[in-house]
Amino acid sequence: MINLLIVIFGISMLYMATSSRIAAQTNMLRLQGIILCFITIISHIHELDTSSIWAAITSLFTHIDTLVGAAFLIVETFVVKALIIPNVLDRVAEKSNIKRDNNPQFPNFYTLVISTIILFAGFMIASSQADILQNISSLYFGVSVSTIITAFVFIAIKKKLLTHVIGFAMLENGIFLLSLSIAKEMPLIVNLGVLLDVFIAVFILGLLIGEIGNIYGNPDVSQLCNLKDSEMAKDE
Amino acid sequence: MNNYFVLDSLNILFLIALVVVTVCVMFYQGFNYCKNAKENLKYYSIFFLFFLSMVGALLSNHLGLTWVFVEATTLTSAYLIMLHKSKNSLEATWKYVFLCSIGISLAFVGIILLLIGSGSVNSLFYNDLYANAAAINPFWLKLSFIFILIGFGTKAGFAPVHSWLPDAHAEAPSPVSAMLSATLLNSAVLVILRLVKLMSLAGLGHTVQVLMLTMGLLSIFITAVYVYRIKNYKRMLAYSSVENMGIISIGIALGSLGTIGALIHVLCHSLIKSSLFLTSGNILHLYNTKEVDEVKDLVSKNKCTSWLWLLGAMLILAIPPSPLFLSEFLIIKQFLLNGQVVLCVVTVLLLTIILFGIMNTVLKMNYTTNNNETEPVKLPISNYIPQIFLIATAIVLGIYMPNGLFELIKNAGGIIW
Repeated sequence: MINLLIVIFGISMLYMATSSRIAAQTNMLRLQGIILCFITIISHIHELDTSSIWAAITSLFTHIDTLVGAAFLIVETFVVKALIIPNVLDRVAEKSNIKRDNNPQFPNFYTLVISTIILFAGFMIASSQADILQNISSLYFGVSVSTIITAFVFIAIKKKLLTHVIGFAMLENGIFLLSLSIAKEMPLIVNLGVLLDVFIAVFILGLLIGEIGNIYGNPDVSQLCNLKDSEMAKDE
Repeated sequence: MNNYFVLDSLNILFLIALVVVTVCVMFYQGFNYCKNAKENLKYYSIFFLFFLSMVGALLSNHLGLTWVFVEATTLTSAYLIMLHKSKNSLEATWKYVFLCSIGISLAFVGIILLLIGSGSVNSLFYNDLYANAAAINPFWLKLSFIFILIGFGTKAGFAPVHSWLPDAHAEAPSPVSAMLSATLLNSAVLVILRLVKLMSLAGLGHTVQVLMLTMGLLSIFITAVYVYRIKNYKRMLAYSSVENMGIISIGIALGSLGTIGALIHVLCHSLIKSSLFLTSGNILHLYNTKEVDEVKDLVSKNKCTSWLWLLGAMLILAIPPSPLFLSEFLIIKQFLLNGQVVLCVVTVLLLTIILFGIMNTVLKMNYTTNNNETEPVKLPISNYIPQIFLIATAIVLGIYMPNGLFELIKNAGGIIW
């Protein structure tokens, strides 16, 4: 079940990399948020003793402290990743009237090819090096690492500030998936990952895009190039 | 049971630099920096939070906690950088926040990889990691060190990932630039130092040396390339920070004497660079421009500022009696002891180029005569005293390093390698 969800996550990442519509990208972020939420739920259900209903209920009480943490984590994942971030991005897009990120640095088709190669390489490396991965599923590792790398490609080729933030959110999702793979040993680390999300949700999205939007209108990275090292570059 | 916060001879050095610089910056800016009471309240509370998050980052004994505090420094300082909300300051803030958040995410990936590799250790306390250093899988440890070096190196301003630094330092209000350059970069360097220790305990010191030597040389090289083309004196100071971080990185990589040099460099760079940034605030106030070409005849416009500017520049370029002369001397000595003569010559050549570039600009600003008579302008005395104090302290440290302090630095150097 988890493996299926991770594969869907990988496909959503490919779709995000190729699409140029903002709405499609935020929808994919929403989907990824929901998938991550489900993975969290399922991995916590595995911890419970599900041989009988009674055993499940008693194990609920014996694990109460971890369950409170898990419940917090699940709610947080859903609220921040599936609701707040995509909705705020949608609202920013609507407010500044951006529908698409036209003219990326190179055509979307090539992006599809590149991200597919990255995903494939991620799978291959992770499954061929399974002995180094020790206790981590190679699927987790392959998909999350290739998502992180694709997010960098995504940020590099897109031109709007908004799409840069979408790429960053994608990067966060990849990191969150990676941190879920070691959640059993170190639950603290997942909570730290959550903190990182709150950081972008509150800060980059709310504050900065708002401020920049007020002054520049429609934010586009090519407009943010006043600060340079020499006068010569400005004169050209 | 581990404590989340500890004080050892390594972070106490960084703490001294942080506290001294903050006190001086507070003295410089007073309690009335913004226009009205409401803005003042906001500015000073965020400034204080920025200070607290750096104290937290320095004192924490847990890698995850340190990461949280470093993230908090990004959050708080971003507001301080965009205080004026002009086009340029927003652009600088955007670059700062975006690059540093990507950096901090990479550092987080590094922490996750470290946990994957550490297997049964299951703890991010530095003591636990150090105690079990040999048990950590070297493949994962190397990989995680690279991620953490790039991640926190972004914050520290090491070369290939330094590009937010000149923009943010140039556009922030001068007291904030002083804090950024003198204290924020240090707190990221400390995290890297802790990880260097872990690597050396795990027997991977060679990887650290190669990586940090490369980054350090690249930092100095980039500064040497850009220092001639700079038309903005605050950017010049920012690039000088990149250069000094490069020297620190090289010193850490070289080990033994080099590390002691690097620690002296950390402490004294903070003192001198903050005084220079505060003085640049005076110049901005006098001329209302950051362009080098429009600043003329500083010496007759305001004698004290021009002297502070000249002295600060001399000290930052390691002209004796600067304490940086001492630290760079130690680093060069260690270079030669290690037998890396070619790299040593390259470093010294690049440093000379930087010296020429910066001194050229500083002298031009001080002594280019104006066609018409320059009217002397007076500034309040609180705009001089912090810099005089910082520069005097630096000169004293350059001539006579108190025994206690030197013992402390030696202990700290022993902690790292």
